[in-house]
Amino acid sequence: MVVSLGATPIAVGDIRGYGDWVQGPALPQSTIDLGSRSEPNLELLTELRPDLIAGAYGYGLDQSLFTHLAPTFNVPFYMSKAAPYAQAQQVTLELGEVLDRRPQAQRLVESVDATIADARAVLAKRPQKPLCVVSMFDDRHVRVYGAGSLLQDVLDRLALTNAWTGATNEWGFSTVGIEQLVAVGEAQLISLDPIPQHIKIRIDRSSLWANLPCVRNGQVRTIPPVWPFGGLAAAGRFAGFLAAA
Amino acid sequence: MAPAIATMRRAGVPAKTLLVGVPALLALLLSLHDLTSLLPPNLWWTALTAPDISDPAQLLYRYAFLPRIAASILAGAALGLAGALMQHVLRNPLAEPTTIGTNAGASLALAAATLYAPWLLAGGREAVALAGGALATLAVFALARGRNFSPVSIIVAGLVVSLTFGSASALLMALNREYTEELFIWQSGSLVQNGDAAIGSLAPPLLFAIGAAFLLLKPLRLLDLEDDGAASLGARPAIIRLAGMALAVALSALVVAEVGVIGFVALAAPALARLAGARRLVQRLILAPLVGAALLWFTDRLVQELSFAAEVPAGTATALLGAPLLLFLLPRLRSAPQAQAVPAPSARWTRPWLPLAIGLIALALAVAVAIGFGRTASGWHWVLSADLPELLALRTPRVVVALAAGTLLAIAGTLMQRMTGNPMAAPEVLGISGGASFGVLTLLVLSDGFDRTAMLGAALAGAAAALAVVMLAARRNALSPERLLLAGVAVATVASAFAALLLASGDPRMDFLLAWLSGSTYRATTADAVTAALVAAVVVAAAPLTARWLDILPLGETTARGLGLRLERTRAVLLALTALATAMATLVIGPLSFVGLMAPHLARMLGLRRAVPQLLAAAILGALILVAADWAGRTLIFPWQVPAGLLAAFVGGPYFMLLMWRGRQ
Repeated sequence: MVVSLGATPIAVGDIRGYGDWVQGPALPQSTIDLGSRSEPNLELLTELRPDLIAGAYGYGLDQSLFTHLAPTFNVPFYMSKAAPYAQAQQVTLELGEVLDRRPQAQRLVESVDATIADARAVLAKRPQKPLCVVSMFDDRHVRVYGAGSLLQDVLDRLALTNAWTGATNEWGFSTVGIEQLVAVGEAQLISLDPIPQHIKIRIDRSSLWANLPCVRNGQVRTIPPVWPFGGLAAAGRFAGFLAAA
Repeated sequence: MAPAIATMRRAGVPAKTLLVGVPALLALLLSLHDLTSLLPPNLWWTALTAPDISDPAQLLYRYAFLPRIAASILAGAALGLAGALMQHVLRNPLAEPTTIGTNAGASLALAAATLYAPWLLAGGREAVALAGGALATLAVFALARGRNFSPVSIIVAGLVVSLTFGSASALLMALNREYTEELFIWQSGSLVQNGDAAIGSLAPPLLFAIGAAFLLLKPLRLLDLEDDGAASLGARPAIIRLAGMALAVALSALVVAEVGVIGFVALAAPALARLAGARRLVQRLILAPLVGAALLWFTDRLVQELSFAAEVPAGTATALLGAPLLLFLLPRLRSAPQAQAVPAPSARWTRPWLPLAIGLIALALAVAVAIGFGRTASGWHWVLSADLPELLALRTPRVVVALAAGTLLAIAGTLMQRMTGNPMAAPEVLGISGGASFGVLTLLVLSDGFDRTAMLGAALAGAAAALAVVMLAARRNALSPERLLLAGVAVATVASAFAALLLASGDPRMDFLLAWLSGSTYRATTADAVTAALVAAVVVAAAPLTARWLDILPLGETTARGLGLRLERTRAVLLALTALATAMATLVIGPLSFVGLMAPHLARMLGLRRAVPQLLAAAILGALILVAADWAGRTLIFPWQVPAGLLAAFVGGPYFMLLMWRGRQ
């Protein structure tokens, strides 16, 4: 989110994970690894003397750990009942304020809105089936995204129907056995990369998977990584990938 | 239901039939109920033999519903048989794939393969899990070999190997958090199927194992005799044990590979069979697989009936349902043979103050290094005066918390081991750590937020509740050591199954949970440090006051009573002290599973055997281990950090194995 406002972070947690699961926007080469996202190295942070420490506090990382090191900025995703997309817009503007990059923040909000509007126009030209967005970690289970997720908000803005109407947790997803995908019928399955190679091989061998209505007719589409708990940049990426092809 | 069962028993229906029949019947009814709503009965046969897969209902019926029932029955039977074999061979009612290291070995192999050699898993997990499980079990046997595979030495070795392997896989998972989602799901033990593959891999080996078990029946029965007696009949107990164990290990590794870790079935099925009156081995070998199959089938169906936002995996459910059952049945379980103490080296110190003084100096040096020497972006440094206040503020709470937690856990472990006379005893085994984590986990489920104060309260409440449950279940027979341990294991199992369920849920807060469960000092605050240090000081001061009890208790109950000890009250006092120490340590550093077990052993292996010297030496060693682990965890892979608890188990485990290996002759 800092990067998408054109600012350069000195350091972030888990650079390798960012590269595999988030990808865009790309981190500058100079970014220093702070260690794991759940335990960013405080001694290193002290040494770097940052101007601002932005993080999603509250999920195990207490804001108070950082307040005496530098000003902190909380990214309160999924903390209130507001829709994730609206929250992402709100937080982007706030962060723009804090970073003294208000115009850039405004521009990001508008450009992602525009990306989504463009994608919607492209998608409106062809008939659209309902979609079902999943991450595959295992050959017997999928994580399926539904009500309350950022991806759901983007689908709504694209006027696409999410075929998964089942229950989801507070973060807008649910881990279910693949047999439950029968519930989405002939919907088009959107699978988020990365999928481990050995899982791909084993899934292809599953007699149940191959015969699911949403798989049988060659409906599975794989798109590049989108961080489902991300901000506007992730939302824009998702809309762009759906409209491409 | 109980009066009904009593009536049926009076009517001549044997308990053994009821034990299998009741859960199996319920499972069948539930299955039929679900089936009828899935597919009309007139289609059942056609859809089985020639399914019309364009019909979603038939597809689900043929490739998801039926395989799942079959997998639950096969896996349950395999676990029941494996458990019955292990418990017989090791002569220990606590033996199951988890206690002897098989599951930990299979898990580590799978975690390593997933991260570094995924191509090994393309064909399925069986080979990797089997290799890992067999390797871990072999390590256990190698350690126990010098003692002629005596039951107690195998269980102790199994525990050490489990802790070491478990901490190694937790380490891999903590450092590759985003890449291990698959492992979390698999660890929680899900019976979801995606076709017939699991049946094909489970059924033939199970049939083979049943056949082999019955071929081995006669030699296995000889193990009921004392080892000397069996040997005088021309049998070689070690070889028989090896064969029995090989069979059991292969079965459990197979189940682990196919459906993941299903806790408790292998422990509960043979125990239930014995309670129902299956006294002879052949009865248990028949009954335990049937009970296991019925239990797992029923549990899995039951979970399907209840609707939650996310699926509850069968492995979690068996542990959650099975543990209270075991607690309920405990008072009726006949006592197993007394555990023998692990032989210690003969070195004795006439003046124990010398090693204690050396230990204290070493500890002081370690603390100085831990606070003063560290790593920064530019390399290794002693603290420079300019950074001093900042770095001290960051490091001191972590070091103090590690020091206090190490001391507390070591004392708790020493008290437990002396009180129960069981070398496996440790705060983790007593279930207090499990209770504390259970409290925290419950709080996480019930609330969206993350409040540290509430968390501390929940942990304390959980620890107290676990202690109450364990004391209640074990109250008869003056808190007999074995029942205490069994009850504690039951509580600990529930907590770890609960944790596995939450970790598999993908909840973003689980990063914290993972760190806490692995014993991280990252979040230690000054308040934590002060509280922990105060409690540690109180416990260190109070523990030596119980020295007379601690010197007498290991001599056995009869001697203790003869010397005028009031057992019930003595044990209650010691338990309260242990609970306080464990709860405090768990609150600040998570449910560590190494220090409380190992520190008292190390103290004894160093030749400090009387109560007070052993207590103090264990306290120093425990503190030393955790302070060193915390320092290493902060610096070795800077800027990444390894939780102190994981590192302690990962380094201390092999060291302990080495000591066992050297001491085996």
